[in-house]
Amino acid sequence: MDAFEWMSPQDIEQAARAATTTVAAAMVRDSGEPAAGDALLKAGGIDLLDLMKEGLLKPRRLIHLRNIAGLDRIEGAEGGLRIGPNVTLSQLASHAEVRMRFRALAQAAGASASPQIRHLATLGGNLLQRPRCWYLRSRAHHCTRKGGDRCFAFGGENQYHAIFDHKGCAIVHPSTCATALIAFGARLEITGPRGARRAPSVEEFLLLPEADLHRENTLEPGEIVTAIVLPAPAQATRSLHIKQCETESFDWPLADVAVVLDLESGVCRKAAVVLGAAAPAPHRARAAEAALTGKRIEEPVIRVAARAALQGAAPLAKNGYKLPIFETLLRRALLAATEG
Amino acid sequence: MSAGTRTQLQPVGIAGVSLGQAERPVGAEEAPALAPNAQLSCIGRSAPRINGHAKVTGSATYTVDVTLPGMLHARILRSPHPHARILSLDTGAAEREPGVRAVHVIEHPIGRAIEIAGPGEAGPARRQLRYVGDPIAAVAAVTAHAAQAALERIRIEYQPLPFVIDIEAARQSDAPPVFDRPVRTEVFGGPAAQLPQHGNVHGPDTSASRGDAAAALSAAEILIEGEFHTQVQTHCCLEPHALLADWRDEGLTVYMSTQFTAGIRAELATALGLPLSRVRVVVDAMGGGFGSKSRIGNDVLAAVALSRKAHAPVRLVLDRHEEQIDSGNRPATVQHIRAGARRDGTLTAVAIEAYGTAGVALGAGVGNFAQSIYDCPNFSLAQSDVFIHAGPGCAMRAPGNVPGAFAYEQIIDELAERLALDPLELRERIDSSPVRREERRIGAERFRWSRRLAPGGGQGALKRGLGMAQSHWPALVHTNCACEVRILRDGSVEVRSSVQDIGTGVGTVLAQVVAEELGLSPGDIVVRIGDTDFPAGPPSYGSRTTASLTPPARNAACLALRKLIAAIAPTLGTTPEGLTLRNGRISSSDGLHSIGFREAAGRLRTEQIGAVASRCDDYGGFGHRMGDFAFARNGLGGVQFAEVTVDTETGRVRVERVLAVHDCGRPINPRQIESQVHGGILQGISYALFEQRILDAPTGHMLNPNLEQYRILRSRETPAIEVHVLENYQGTSATDAYGIAEPSIIATAPAIANAVYNAIGVRVRTLPMTPAVILEALGRLPHRS
Amino acid sequence: MPHNTAPHASRCTQGVTGATVGPGAAAIRLEVNGIVRALAVLPSETLAEVLRERLALTGTKIACDRGACSSCTVWVDGAPVCSCMVLAIEVDGHRVTSIEGLAGEALHPVQSAFIEHDAIQCGFCTPGLVMSCVALLESHPHPTEEEVKAAIGGHLCRCGTYPHVIAAVLDVARKGKRSP
Ligand SMILES: Cc1cc2nc3c(=O)[nH]c(=O)nc-3n(C[C@H](O)[C@H](O)[C@H](O)COP(=O)(O)OP(=O)(O)OC[C@H]3O[C@@H](n4cnc5c(N)ncnc54)[C@H](O)[C@@H]3O)c2cc1C
Ligand code: FES
Ligand code: FES
Repeated sequence: MDAFEWMSPQDIEQAARAATTTVAAAMVRDSGEPAAGDALLKAGGIDLLDLMKEGLLKPRRLIHLRNIAGLDRIEGAEGGLRIGPNVTLSQLASHAEVRMRFRALAQAAGASASPQIRHLATLGGNLLQRPRCWYLRSRAHHCTRKGGDRCFAFGGENQYHAIFDHKGCAIVHPSTCATALIAFGARLEITGPRGARRAPSVEEFLLLPEADLHRENTLEPGEIVTAIVLPAPAQATRSLHIKQCETESFDWPLADVAVVLDLESGVCRKAAVVLGAAAPAPHRARAAEAALTGKRIEEPVIRVAARAALQGAAPLAKNGYKLPIFETLLRRALLAATEG
Repeated sequence: MSAGTRTQLQPVGIAGVSLGQAERPVGAEEAPALAPNAQLSCIGRSAPRINGHAKVTGSATYTVDVTLPGMLHARILRSPHPHARILSLDTGAAEREPGVRAVHVIEHPIGRAIEIAGPGEAGPARRQLRYVGDPIAAVAAVTAHAAQAALERIRIEYQPLPFVIDIEAARQSDAPPVFDRPVRTEVFGGPAAQLPQHGNVHGPDTSASRGDAAAALSAAEILIEGEFHTQVQTHCCLEPHALLADWRDEGLTVYMSTQFTAGIRAELATALGLPLSRVRVVVDAMGGGFGSKSRIGNDVLAAVALSRKAHAPVRLVLDRHEEQIDSGNRPATVQHIRAGARRDGTLTAVAIEAYGTAGVALGAGVGNFAQSIYDCPNFSLAQSDVFIHAGPGCAMRAPGNVPGAFAYEQIIDELAERLALDPLELRERIDSSPVRREERRIGAERFRWSRRLAPGGGQGALKRGLGMAQSHWPALVHTNCACEVRILRDGSVEVRSSVQDIGTGVGTVLAQVVAEELGLSPGDIVVRIGDTDFPAGPPSYGSRTTASLTPPARNAACLALRKLIAAIAPTLGTTPEGLTLRNGRISSSDGLHSIGFREAAGRLRTEQIGAVASRCDDYGGFGHRMGDFAFARNGLGGVQFAEVTVDTETGRVRVERVLAVHDCGRPINPRQIESQVHGGILQGISYALFEQRILDAPTGHMLNPNLEQYRILRSRETPAIEVHVLENYQGTSATDAYGIAEPSIIATAPAIANAVYNAIGVRVRTLPMTPAVILEALGRLPHRS
Repeated sequence: MPHNTAPHASRCTQGVTGATVGPGAAAIRLEVNGIVRALAVLPSETLAEVLRERLALTGTKIACDRGACSSCTVWVDGAPVCSCMVLAIEVDGHRVTSIEGLAGEALHPVQSAFIEHDAIQCGFCTPGLVMSCVALLESHPHPTEEEVKAAIGGHLCRCGTYPHVIAAVLDVARKGKRSP
């Protein structure tokens, strides 16, 4: 890695002031080499260092967020949970209350990457990591997301790419946790450079290519995610996250699904169904949710909902196989969620 | 019988089945016949690895851990284009970069097919780059970072040229040619017959054909046909290719992660015009090779050249990206097979048309598997290499036979089904190997093969299947191979050879063999290996290391002991003739004289005595010989059984269980053998289900040049594995031991494929069998609008 | 209890907090295998590089340099992490344990079991695997086979030692030996 400066601020304001741009913006260029001179935020650094080692980023300075006090706590908030962005995936996966009340999130976090990475990777960083698309990650491919004029996935090796919402760019969102966060209706707390605050839902925060081709979310330079807030789930909520990878040990999902069901003696009052690795942002399967709402969750309803989840899917040349996988995963997730 | 030979009764047969004795002619210096393992105390026991302590504590020294004072670091500049001509190259700015000590331009790259210059032609004036990653130049600097920065200062003007990376596209007559002239053909270091070359198609090589397959096929009662596609697999040794070259006036020393110290020395001496005696190659611990660290490459020559220029040791370690694109790979193949048989199963004809691609190299043949495993009078094999603009392939664990068996063992499975025969019964009829017969018998019983259902017979979405396949690999022996055993005056013992331990545990095996002969325990033997200062040993490839080296090790120990006895007999007031070593004591047959081994050594007049022995021919001779190595009369077998589950809704294949029954002559260290077999099976599963180099057709770049998107089996994909190894005595050498590493991978992918067929009733002829491939085979893919 | 602790949660760094350092070397203090080391490192140096190159602790191996193989596993404050993806400067003030710090006079029982079960081939992945297996047994003294597989799921062993590694760990667990 090229040399860089290091700053480890003690508070959010200092960090916000120091950041000159976002990682996504730093990767956009006309062509050739990444711009040097940026000051970028770093949490666990798993994604940031990866991009730097690949020569896709050449920051002048890193701003280390891990020493800011108070950002690594999980605490109760209005019946839900307020999770600091520096909480690691392993903390999240083993946290008793997360496991009890937000099972799908604990499952998503606990099944991501490897134990070694989960000890380092933070929830904030996980949500904000760049897509794993091999064209984006290749220095040889100047793709749309980096300011180029084409998405190489179209007409290329798109077996791991999106089946929904891939207008202009076919990445899938990389965060497995995000699938679950959206299903729980999580919100973010964001502090801007001059203390400005906003609190978008994760769903609003994440962008599709049609809204912006160059970034996956609405984070602006100098903004810092200071919390991920999970609203209180209804009393009888059941949730589940499952995924399928090519290898089970350690792999990115080919497909993952999170379901959150508010069940009242077998009848679904409210359902959230989200597909991960399906689209540039986790894909909310509203037709499936509608098919479940107000119904007793039994095999025939589940079948209909699972089929409905794929409404509007537009697979690319090499990823049509994802459709039967999503349908199956969803069916199994709904069945398992209602069973226990 | 010629002078200097005698005959000797040797154990012959399979222990527990057919063990007997047979007379063999042996050389005068050969050790006496070795009893079956049951009667031995070191051989046939699972001695712990001698370097185990170093490896579990992290103290083992791998090449990447070696440092020398004043050492420089080198990095290589590689082609960003799949095909381009270098119009100009200017290293001036790079040379002036701070910290840079030397720059070397690679003008004549090796490790690939080489064009034959036409008469009077000096060869192309400008260097042509033929794949992304093709090395161009190397820089040595005080840090790796400075070297990398300097690479970016080398100014190059490229003329990009049209390229092709798809094997089908490359076969077309209008495809951009990878080579403009015919290329030299080399097989195992020697020239082979020149083959036709049209465009990118080099071949076909039909030399293995026999009989009249075409006629026999048209007359066949049963005809089976199939086309099989296999992918490129990369070696992914955990320790990258690494070396530290130290050029000095008095000679060159190279510390290198290699599978063949002696071979590297010879190659370097030839390439540099140095006498063998001025080149030394050293490797202590070695982090995996699987075929890819057998020879010198451009990295090695570059580091040596840089060391020579800079007058300093130069360290060069490839990064993972470089490993993936330019350290060799298992070639992709397409095999079209037609097999004809009689209704009783007898094979009457086999015709295989195969083409494969090793990128810019040759060697994508499908091996000798189909040609040699079953008897078949009419056999035709036409195999061609197809050049594409991709990194050169090279040998990888059981080269050729792995893709070859994947296809052929499925054809045999299909034939069995067509004949309504159990696949084991068909093999009873067509496989003449008595060893595999026993292996099938053991395997079928322990695997409970009889519970196998009809194809696709299971209920529900998750289908279970059982399959089996057989392995065949030649038993190779490196005859340019020697070993020394020294007995020191304090009774300590050293065994010395340039052989390298790449993870197979050959050092431990040597200690066991020598200890057995000297009545000691393996822990008493000091093993000095991995250095060409010791007698030149064999390579660690071709599953030939143990077969080649243990006989001379045992003979050297035997000779050293005789010398010891001769030296000390007078001090006992007797003659050497009646003295033998028994139970750790040198005693006379009449029991009058007896002395402990250590005490005897203490009576030596010199600090040490020793003996060097080299590998003699197998007793009774070899099948045939090729330069420094030979094919033993009998090959190596093996039978594997696999149990899989296939999720027909998600396309996921899980291997639940593998049972492997193998033979390797006399097993010397059963647990290490088991480790090797585990490795073969796990790499085989990984090949069957996960691994695949993905090249981007529009740009020629590898898209998964890492260990993350290049998927490899890990712990949770590891099934229950049972390994049974026969003691198969053949009475052919002083130890009667042969290899296991390669036979153990060959049957795995076809056993899985046959099990998948048994589970779902649909044949999968494409690797790897990913969910996408399985779902497609099941007709579950959505119709695209 | 390595499995429940975030490596950075416990202590704040000294020295570099707040101020900007680099791109040249900056002073840090690491406790490595029980010894406090004062070092000058570049902010861009990874923990793996510093262990190997500055402290000559070459038992920690680098095979992918991207977090994808776990060969470089060490413990930071008791938790296994891939040291190729950690900057040395960010563990300033923390406790690092590498393979060299595991055994005292005697081998750790996991190390002995690796030898006994031949859970080693080329051995390049072995130090990392040992670190993960010991960490697992510290937090789960009686893991199931599935738990062992999950705990080592990030490791790549190209030689295929997994069956013997799993057997070794289960054997140590069964015998109830946890420290030397
Ligand atoms: C081999 C491998 C396999 C993986 N498998 C998976 C997987 O299966 N599923 C999955 O989800 N992930 C997976 N990951 C990704 C990994 O989980 C993420 O890289 C990690 O979670 C990122 O977290 P971090 O704390 O290290 O982020 P960093 O790299 O530190 O930061 C990531 C981004 O977030 C920004 N950032 C971080 N914190 C904040 C904040 N508080 N406010 C504003 N911006 C911030 C940074 O500027 C940067 O742009 C894998 C990674 C690897 C290397
Ligand atoms: S070297 Fe660190 S994970 Fe591979
Ligand atoms: S022992 Fe070689 S990689 Fe694991």
